[in-house]
Amino acid sequence: MLQPRPELGPPQPYTFPKPRRLSVGSGHVIAIDVPGQQYAAVRLVQPAGAANEPLDRMGVAYLTGEVLEDGVRGNSSLAPALEQYGAEWVCRVTWDSFVTGVDAPITRISDAVALFAEAVRAPALRPEDVVRRRDQLIERFWLDSSVPSTLAMRAVGGQLFTGRYGTPLNGGPVKLRDLTPEVVADFHARSIASVAGTLVVVGDLSGVDLEELGKTVFADAAPTPTAPITPPEHASGERPRIMLLDRPGSVQSAVVLAHHAPSRPETDLPKADGMSDVLGGMFTSRLNMELRERLGYTYGVGCQFDLRRDSGVFILRTQVDAAATAHSVTVTLAEIDRLQADGVTEEELEAVRESNTVGLPVTYSTARSLASALVEMVVHDLPEDHVDRLRAGFEGLTAEDLGMAARNLLHPRESVVIVAGDAAQIEEPLRETGFGPVSVRDPESLWS
Amino acid sequence: MVTNGAIGRISQYTLDNGLRLVTAPAATGQLVAVNLWYGVGSRFEVPGRTGFAHLFEHLMFQGSGGVAKGEHFDAVERLGGEINASTSTDRTNYFETVPEHALDLALWLEADRLATLRDGMTQEVLDNQRDVVKNERRQRYDNVPYGTAFERILRLGYPEGHPYHHSTIGSMQDLDDADLDYVLSFHKKHYGPDNLVLTVVSNLDPDDVHDRVNKYLGGVPPRETVAEAPNAELEGLIGGPVRDTAVEQVPAPRVFLGYRVPAYGEREFDVMHLASAILGYGQGSRLYQRLVVERGIANDDGGMASDVLSFRYTPSLLLVTMIAREGVSGDELEAAIREEVAGLADGVAEEELERARAILERDHLQTISTPSGLADTIGSCTQFFGEPELASTWPQRWAAISTDDIVACVKRLLVDENLLVVRFDPEETGDGAAEPDPASA
Repeated sequence: MLQPRPELGPPQPYTFPKPRRLSVGSGHVIAIDVPGQQYAAVRLVQPAGAANEPLDRMGVAYLTGEVLEDGVRGNSSLAPALEQYGAEWVCRVTWDSFVTGVDAPITRISDAVALFAEAVRAPALRPEDVVRRRDQLIERFWLDSSVPSTLAMRAVGGQLFTGRYGTPLNGGPVKLRDLTPEVVADFHARSIASVAGTLVVVGDLSGVDLEELGKTVFADAAPTPTAPITPPEHASGERPRIMLLDRPGSVQSAVVLAHHAPSRPETDLPKADGMSDVLGGMFTSRLNMELRERLGYTYGVGCQFDLRRDSGVFILRTQVDAAATAHSVTVTLAEIDRLQADGVTEEELEAVRESNTVGLPVTYSTARSLASALVEMVVHDLPEDHVDRLRAGFEGLTAEDLGMAARNLLHPRESVVIVAGDAAQIEEPLRETGFGPVSVRDPESLWS
Repeated sequence: MVTNGAIGRISQYTLDNGLRLVTAPAATGQLVAVNLWYGVGSRFEVPGRTGFAHLFEHLMFQGSGGVAKGEHFDAVERLGGEINASTSTDRTNYFETVPEHALDLALWLEADRLATLRDGMTQEVLDNQRDVVKNERRQRYDNVPYGTAFERILRLGYPEGHPYHHSTIGSMQDLDDADLDYVLSFHKKHYGPDNLVLTVVSNLDPDDVHDRVNKYLGGVPPRETVAEAPNAELEGLIGGPVRDTAVEQVPAPRVFLGYRVPAYGEREFDVMHLASAILGYGQGSRLYQRLVVERGIANDDGGMASDVLSFRYTPSLLLVTMIAREGVSGDELEAAIREEVAGLADGVAEEELERARAILERDHLQTISTPSGLADTIGSCTQFFGEPELASTWPQRWAAISTDDIVACVKRLLVDENLLVVRFDPEETGDGAAEPDPASA
């Protein structure tokens, strides 16, 4: 009745599409033509990320991104205006970049981009809109922090860094209060309105005039400056340690293990990501197999490197049955120890190698994912064959590479474990793990 | 109208065992999106067995006659593929996107668990996945603010004993009570090729895809007995207003309103879908403009206050939800939302309707612009309506609806007699304040 299991033939060779580049005014356009892709992705990349915000203006980039949605007429006028073209506003502020954009049907891309450009370059920025968005952001911060996984993740920065990285990307509830409409207007004028940036366009470009799009977006804006690198200072405090954010009555605990990592330029991505995949990055990772598929403690576990231009963080996260909290921490540490001591198996190496090479057509199967790759290249100043180089890096990985990465890049004894859960139930078991001192905090005291 | 390249290029086949296959072209090459819609969801569950269709979805990845536990995930992950599944009231959906050369393997993996799942099932696997699902329930329902809202809404919207009275996640007790015999009988009862729509989006020749599907899945026999669908008929309005109030550890009051509206696929469902978008979808919607921007009494949700929970085989639910701003009571917010809902009956402007059409069409086009989204939409249109081409032409349905249609429907359906209210209010704190003051934290 059933056929025998088919043998996989060789995959077709994959090469990342070569982007078309042109300079328009003071800006640059980078585009990928995808014949048949009728829904285009357009992104404007500017270097005004949160990392370089002055300490008295933390969160200004994020708040400005929000206020841009009020459009050229104020009162949240941007989204309804874009909707008439079947388009959607995109804004993503990271530590290293300020990315705005629009997703739109390719047949209406000129109109949608004209509207987009006007919204980015000349928004109303009415003081009442800024204040409304700011106050809403502050309240939303607390609403979002009532979700245990969000709460635990937001606490990471303050445990590892001082300065800008010690406060959440959006500035946190206290710092946001200091942002005035004048501060937002100043940031926008200096870093957004007057900076050309790089325009990314992906879709069926057969009928699209890229130069005209570039003129529309860049107009007479000035060349894009280079963002300075500012190595952050590490927070003091004993490590390893456990910080328990008390959330009485929790039936589950959100657990985050975090420690410092090298910056993006200092990191060999195939080695770091490949090792991380084996530990917790894939469904078939060691931690998922142990915590979920054998012990049944969790719905899922994951880990990754958050690599920024001037620093990095390793983060491992899960949510576990409250009664299993302490044992989950011990199991996690044991798995890291085992990986560092014994390295990876040939089978694991093969899985990492294959999943990051033959899967590239899947990874880049949408306009959005192709645009994201181009944005990453712009933000981190990567060569246009970056994806192909990564693929070659994964193809060349050895088991020794991954074992070495585990030993060099994982530092559990220099980490902070943050747990959002019911202290009455889990504090003592966490102490008994012997991992490090346990402190109990009221979550609302974190950002006072 | 904006279209995607699939129009006129969709092919349909029905295998001898009843499996329905649909193929469509992808906008990017070298990959295949494989999407399976089985016609079974939580509506087939009976009291005492809730949550089982979803628990079963987990078990479908736990091994079968020819595949070991974890091997299905492993095989697809090694290909860099995307793989997952989901369960709703009306169907269970399995999907993977893999490089083109792996289509045969994906089809074989699906065929193997369709034909031989019962050979690989064990008590140990059941016990493990039961714990996983209980943690999923904790993560999504029990350990987050407002997490039980959906269950409360369904309990009010559909009478006890009705197949839509409970949520797909089920109760902890019922999950504990699930036994291996039931697992095996569930597979036999619902998992047959005659209950399956298989969609493949790729740039392969449709006939080639058909040959391969026939090779791997054509030999799987249909079910011996077709499961009888439960009676989900429901006439009339909710009989409201009906209400459920939870006083819990939540950061702010939250209001949910629900109204019974026609089943997914009926014209009046589309009318109410547009009404929902006018009311609360997008920053140009009435609720966002009036309650977030002008009055400042509702939290900024980005314009996601209203949607329709679509059910194919029973009346659907139009849902509205907002969270109160600091210092605003649940009563005040509820009254304000109900005022805006009532205002729809006074008339809808043509530009409001055009905005609603544009926003729904945008979402639709975005979805079908990705290989997996197109495959999923085609699977839905085929399983529910037997018309895969609907995936390309769905927006045309909204074009024929007028403002008068909306007002007439609103006057009949968005009324107190058809209203359910679920409210969450924060517990009183020791100092008498209704909620913590974030500013003082």
